[in-house]
Amino acid sequence: MAQLTTIGQLPLNQPPIHHYTAYRPRPFKREERDKVTILYGGLTWKHERLIQGTLHNMKYNAEPLPNIARDDLDAGKELIDVGACCPTIFTTGSLVNFLKKEVAASSKGEVANKYVFLTAGACGPCRFGQYHESYSMALDGLGLRDFRMFLLAQDELDQGPSGGGGLEINLPLSLGLIWGILFGDLLSDLEYLTRPYEINPGQTDQVLKASVEYLYRVFRERPDHGAKYGTLAWHLLTNYFTNALREVCKMWDAIEVDRLRVKARVKITGEFWLQTHEGDGNYNIKRWLEQEDAEVVPPPVAVWLHYLLHPTIRKLEHRHSTSKHPRLEQTLLQALERIYRWTYNRFRKALADLPNELPDQEELRELAEPFYHFELRGGEGHMLIGKALHAYHHKKAHMICELSPYSCMPNTMSIGSMANVIGKYPDLLYAPIEVKGDSEVHALSRCQMILTEAKRRAHEQFQEVLKKTGLTVEKIRKYEERHPETRRATHRVPHLGYSGTAANYVLHLAQDRGLARA
Amino acid sequence: MPFQTLRTWFERKPSVAPPPKDRSQLRVGIARVLNVWSTHQFWVAFLKELGISSENIVFSSDTSEEQGREFGKGRGTVDCCYPVKCISGHYGELVFGQKKKINILLSPMIHSLPSILHGHVVDTVTCTRVMAGPENIKAGFLKERDVFAENDIVYASPFVSLGDRHMVTEQLFTSLKDVFDLDLEETARAVQAGFQALDSFTTKARQRSRDILAWCAQNGKPCILVLARPYHMDPGIGHEIEGELQAHGYPILWLQYLPGDDDLVNWLFEEDVKTGRIKSPFDISDVWTSSYSSNTNEIMWGAKFATRCPWITCVIRLSSYECGMDQPTYTPSQKIVEATGTLYFKFGDLDSTKPGGGIKIRVETIVHYLSKYSEEIIQRKLGYLSPDCPLAVARRSDAAVST
Ligand code: SF4
Ligand code: SF4
Repeated sequence: MAQLTTIGQLPLNQPPIHHYTAYRPRPFKREERDKVTILYGGLTWKHERLIQGTLHNMKYNAEPLPNIARDDLDAGKELIDVGACCPTIFTTGSLVNFLKKEVAASSKGEVANKYVFLTAGACGPCRFGQYHESYSMALDGLGLRDFRMFLLAQDELDQGPSGGGGLEINLPLSLGLIWGILFGDLLSDLEYLTRPYEINPGQTDQVLKASVEYLYRVFRERPDHGAKYGTLAWHLLTNYFTNALREVCKMWDAIEVDRLRVKARVKITGEFWLQTHEGDGNYNIKRWLEQEDAEVVPPPVAVWLHYLLHPTIRKLEHRHSTSKHPRLEQTLLQALERIYRWTYNRFRKALADLPNELPDQEELRELAEPFYHFELRGGEGHMLIGKALHAYHHKKAHMICELSPYSCMPNTMSIGSMANVIGKYPDLLYAPIEVKGDSEVHALSRCQMILTEAKRRAHEQFQEVLKKTGLTVEKIRKYEERHPETRRATHRVPHLGYSGTAANYVLHLAQDRGLARA
Repeated sequence: MPFQTLRTWFERKPSVAPPPKDRSQLRVGIARVLNVWSTHQFWVAFLKELGISSENIVFSSDTSEEQGREFGKGRGTVDCCYPVKCISGHYGELVFGQKKKINILLSPMIHSLPSILHGHVVDTVTCTRVMAGPENIKAGFLKERDVFAENDIVYASPFVSLGDRHMVTEQLFTSLKDVFDLDLEETARAVQAGFQALDSFTTKARQRSRDILAWCAQNGKPCILVLARPYHMDPGIGHEIEGELQAHGYPILWLQYLPGDDDLVNWLFEEDVKTGRIKSPFDISDVWTSSYSSNTNEIMWGAKFATRCPWITCVIRLSSYECGMDQPTYTPSQKIVEATGTLYFKFGDLDSTKPGGGIKIRVETIVHYLSKYSEEIIQRKLGYLSPDCPLAVARRSDAAVST
């Protein structure tokens, strides 16, 4: 029992303990706002610029991190525990490289005081839920523990002032950010459905840039309507945003397109970060697909936000609710979901209904249910299967390209379950692409194989519709000469049951514009 | 073909007609995988309460490479961590490897877990792969044809939040009512019986761990804590590394069953609560802020417990190859443990093959360090704590410990 006699008697030479402590940012104070720049990232440059508009509108200094580059992967790998998924490595590396550059230009102390980093988080056991653990490890590695990083919970619009009051996550900020994200999605839709068909190379990118800059100013000049319900009502009902989108639509009107180019329509799905990203992080796969004669259907962030607020899907998140009025809350949530869809459709309408509509979450759930339960959390959950089947049944794309980060936990599960889907629907063209960040050739050649078949189908459909309508390319060309409006980027081609744009266009001219009878 | 028709064809439905109400002849096979390792007491009691006899509840065997080869070959649909990948072998064994055929294959999708940290952490949900593993694995048995139906087996995979007891009856009733011909009341009774059995087992196991610690305290002996996920108890997943150490005379504790008695945790965490570092002994926010995942949270708490508890002089961390949940925890857990000089050894990237020779050499190294430094570690850690050690007097006199 000798041990017990010494309990509590710290020997003289025994050093005090320094228990490991998780990273906690020191406060970002209200009075520091003018001197501090908020860094953020993780979406496309379009979304990020529009978000910047809102942040500037709210009088924050804000700057998106530079777009992800290949060497961010190495910088990330160097500083975090081995085995992370590539989105974690890339985004950590991007922050690391930015900070390293800044430190080289000034000093650690200055960088720690000049910047704070705002990142999404607090949404579960995986996904962004643990990103910040890697970020903090990287900050330790850089000797920048003093640098401040804050989490933005995705499911609370009004989180109040956090960590010292320098950043106040209130309704005007959250609504501005969400509207910015929705606008980023709408512009991405315009971009991807136009660029493959543009007559003058580079024009789409020019107009896109001008549109983003114009909308940036719209967000920056957004009028103040208070901090609570006034601002909510204004955001929902005002014409301020829809008028701005109409202006954007006019800009796109100038682009001439040739929709008789037969392209495979490829729907991008996958892990949230990877599918949204445009750059080295996913081998620039969207641009690559366009070069390979495809039209890309980009994944809107809006679908993820819709998933987050859908009452049936999110019931599980309210299991700890102590609300005295659960029914009322449920009704409110249902109303919110309807308002969300209504708002998105209002914005689409202002853009001549060109952007794709949001899929019905209930339908996604039902489609996925035999294969993947809708309450399984993590990543995109059941939506990956739901979206693939939705595109298949509704003929929205010739093929699905699912971007899956190497070692992603939820993605591997739904990809496995897709084997069952493919067993039932053998003609569904599905290309799961594992992205490690540094094995581009392998990934793209896998995609290429399925794409070849998708292109074959696109051409087959095009011939089929020509035959069905009795039209020829020459006949259509002549018609277009007489009706130049059909060659405008803003001329809407309705979806008439074909997966490809060219086939739908021919049928549209035949059916809706009476060309077949002419 | 109308889209609606296609959809109804592939609706989730039991592979064959539901079994009769008399359940005495029903035979249920449970895949011994993932978090079934920490909740099987619930499932056994639940089924027994429904009238299924003990001998008709069968578990698949421990994971082994032979099992995978014989029963799971060609059924894998994706490459991932071994604890999930190996499930194909378990399903296959239950379908093809039973002398007496099973009628139902039960493989729950466990969404949340009961946890000693409940109420002190943000959530207690499982890893996304633990939840979704069954959906992934079942695909390998359905992709070409319905192997379950061909073998007259109903595949049942209820989604269940075992960490949120108020939801469990409804969840199991909804998902299993057709499988077992259930009514709501009997489901509620069975759920209650399940939790009673689980709680009683956990209490006993925690008491057993306390007895071991008390024995160590009274005899000045060190012990080892295993920081791992519950399924590392499976000899085919954890490769019995802890067994090799135990063979050298060191008692083994598993973090899942660490004692949580007030007197003990208050003693260990007294200083932390006093200084405001944490709000309660079960608070882990000082070391891990994204406390959603039940098993990860407990690993963090286990590491905190170990670094403070004098007689735990060594921590063995087990982790499976390609485990995305463990990945961000490696450095924090090591730093937590080593803060007081407690020994920390990690066996990472565990896969299907037992790295025999490698383990042997490492075990010898660990034993060497343990014998050399344990005494000093115990003394040092005791120095950090108050003299009122609740383990000084064993609460139970029958604390017989076999090492
Ligand atoms: S969803 Fe996958 S890739 Fe994204 S954070 Fe989670 S594990 Fe990583
Ligand atoms: S916790 Fe790790 S080993 Fe377990 S299922 Fe999840 S990823 Fe696999």
